[in-house]
Amino acid sequence: MGSDEAYNFVFKVVLIGESGVGKSNLLSRFTKNEFNHDSRTTIGVEFSTRTVQLNSFTIKAQIWDTAGLERYRAITSAYYRGAVGALLVYDITKHLTYESVERWLKELYDHADPHMVVMLVGNKTDLESERSVPTEEAKDFAEKKGLLFLETSALESTNVESAFNTVLEEIHKKVSSKEVIRGSIKAVTLNSSRPEDEEEKKPCCRNI
Amino acid sequence: MAKIENGRPSVDMGSIRTLNSSHIEDESSLGSDSEINGFTSERQTDRYGFIGGAQQYSEESAQDVPPEVLRQREVKWLDMLSHWDKWMLKRFNKVRLRCQKGIPPALRGRAWLYLSGGKVKREQNQGKFQELDSQPGDPKWLDVIEKDLHRQFPFHEMFVSRGGHGQQDLFRVLKAYTLYKPEEGYCQAQAPIAAVLLMHMPAEDAFWGLVQICEKYLPGYYSPGLEAIQLDGEILFALLRRVSPIAFRHLEKHKIDPVLYMTEWFMCAFSRTLPWASVLRVWDMFLCDGVKIIFRVGLVLLKCTLGTREKLKTCQGLYETMELLRAIDPRYMQEGFLVREILEVPVTARDIEREHHTQIKRWKKNRGELNFKPAPRMHGARIIMLAEPPRRQDLKQNPTIVLEVPEPPQQLNKGKEERKSKKKKSIKKPPTIEEIPNPYPLPTDPSPPSSNPPAPPPDSSSVAPETPPETKMDSNNQQTAPPTDPPAANEPALQESTQSLSSSEQDTYL
Repeated sequence: MGSDEAYNFVFKVVLIGESGVGKSNLLSRFTKNEFNHDSRTTIGVEFSTRTVQLNSFTIKAQIWDTAGLERYRAITSAYYRGAVGALLVYDITKHLTYESVERWLKELYDHADPHMVVMLVGNKTDLESERSVPTEEAKDFAEKKGLLFLETSALESTNVESAFNTVLEEIHKKVSSKEVIRGSIKAVTLNSSRPEDEEEKKPCCRNI
Repeated sequence: MAKIENGRPSVDMGSIRTLNSSHIEDESSLGSDSEINGFTSERQTDRYGFIGGAQQYSEESAQDVPPEVLRQREVKWLDMLSHWDKWMLKRFNKVRLRCQKGIPPALRGRAWLYLSGGKVKREQNQGKFQELDSQPGDPKWLDVIEKDLHRQFPFHEMFVSRGGHGQQDLFRVLKAYTLYKPEEGYCQAQAPIAAVLLMHMPAEDAFWGLVQICEKYLPGYYSPGLEAIQLDGEILFALLRRVSPIAFRHLEKHKIDPVLYMTEWFMCAFSRTLPWASVLRVWDMFLCDGVKIIFRVGLVLLKCTLGTREKLKTCQGLYETMELLRAIDPRYMQEGFLVREILEVPVTARDIEREHHTQIKRWKKNRGELNFKPAPRMHGARIIMLAEPPRRQDLKQNPTIVLEVPEPPQQLNKGKEERKSKKKKSIKKPPTIEEIPNPYPLPTDPSPPSSNPPAPPPDSSSVAPETPPETKMDSNNQQTAPPTDPPAANEPALQESTQSLSSSEQDTYL
């Protein structure tokens, strides 16, 4: 994935949510501009990166994706380690997937950094006719919980860029304001050197 | 044009479109399953059923066993299957050796069912699958299963079509399991396991194969809490220290949790990782010898990928390491190489059990009691059989395939079992076949065959082991003559293979 460009930051972002809501396709849409109706069930961990420009900074987004099925939550603590952002995804046509958002939030805060940037994402807006989660309801909930909010369609590519970029921007803001992000954040070092530079402060090494 | 996606050539997405199933009224009447989904004949299906080069099929990596050798192996396997208990109890080393060489494709499904003990389970539980199949099932599980049906091997012709027979059978098998073991329910990694089985056997057999894998080979893998897989991750890591200290230290230094790389490997028994030819070889050995094979594959891949300082130069951190582990060099996964390496790994079932004890103690210390205590793991086909001894009728093949093996006079003192047993082909032959002269007369055969029941040469491809006796009864017998190979070209080969039937010396293909 051509990741030898210089970058200033590496941000690890995780995708969470029930099985089948579209996490894997959000990942592939954002990092490869691909969508597949029959993408394989995620088992274990998938990941991909994309480097974006934010203002004058080059940010390498490391997006992680995992299985949504309930029992896989048992093995996710390794998955959350070092994550500074999360997209909590539900399917707007399946109300049940929205109802479990609270549980996912709890899961998130149990394992990951409390200062993490979290966005609630209602995916599959291309299926508007089958909607079962009103936008306003989800928006209010997000506000109440201090989450960002967007509705997306990985299929039509609607708002996908926006969702990830917004999260990355928010992370950057927090980092720049030196708000403490526990654990993860020697991960983020201003680095203008080339990746093959042997210096200690390589972001990738520290991004554990 | 194959794009490389995380190191694996990916199928070109552009021209693949799946039709919404609502457009399809009666699928079975529309072309072939593949055509429905936009696949045309431009997309080549490989010998395993994968479309467009999916699952890493490539001509160079395919290891072709010569037909004569294949035929010999089939005869040997047919013999073993006919006397399964004896072979398993008294000559298991030979069974293992033959599994290591690769089960002949024509018999793989049957062999897997026997090895896993699924055959015995099926016979001892007649009607059970039908009973489960007819029940509605828990909606909670059905919902998740349905979401997954089109996400297993979507580029395999059997599963490519939504609502097609492959997906239907997958549904039936997975649903039946949730009814069979309601406390376990459904775990997503069971779908690829079931799919691999379904590629080789009908739904009922695949169900029992799945049961055996979930209960005997990999107990606890698919249970809530996934504790077993986490434990095995720790075991794998611990074993790596001995097998490849460099790889071990690297993973340790970067705090790369085993579940980050071994989860899909182990839970799907490498069916989503390796090129298909290698998957089949690994499963041949896995069903024979148990989980130690899975551990060995993992160790080989880790050692090959991270085992030298040279290789580690390119992965400076966790992420780079993981990228490397997800895009393993195809050379290391190639059938021949991989099998040889697996056989060399100095890890036994006992090593695994010992490490298992250590890790359980560690778990209890750090995390408390285990929530889900599965039954102890069974390390292979023989142990499974000893634990659940079959009745004679459980092992009876259906249909019964029996071969008559001609005895070349000079070879009598070679005395291998397969030539001692007198076997008869039970495929019913229409009477007129006796009038067809045998185009491939053996040096020892009287020609034409007279009053004896005709004994076709053992390596003739007209011996189709899977043909059920009820077919081809009255149908034209002229057409059942052996397929057209020019007899002249074949004769020298025939003679060779007859002689070597009894010996494995010439079968050095691994």
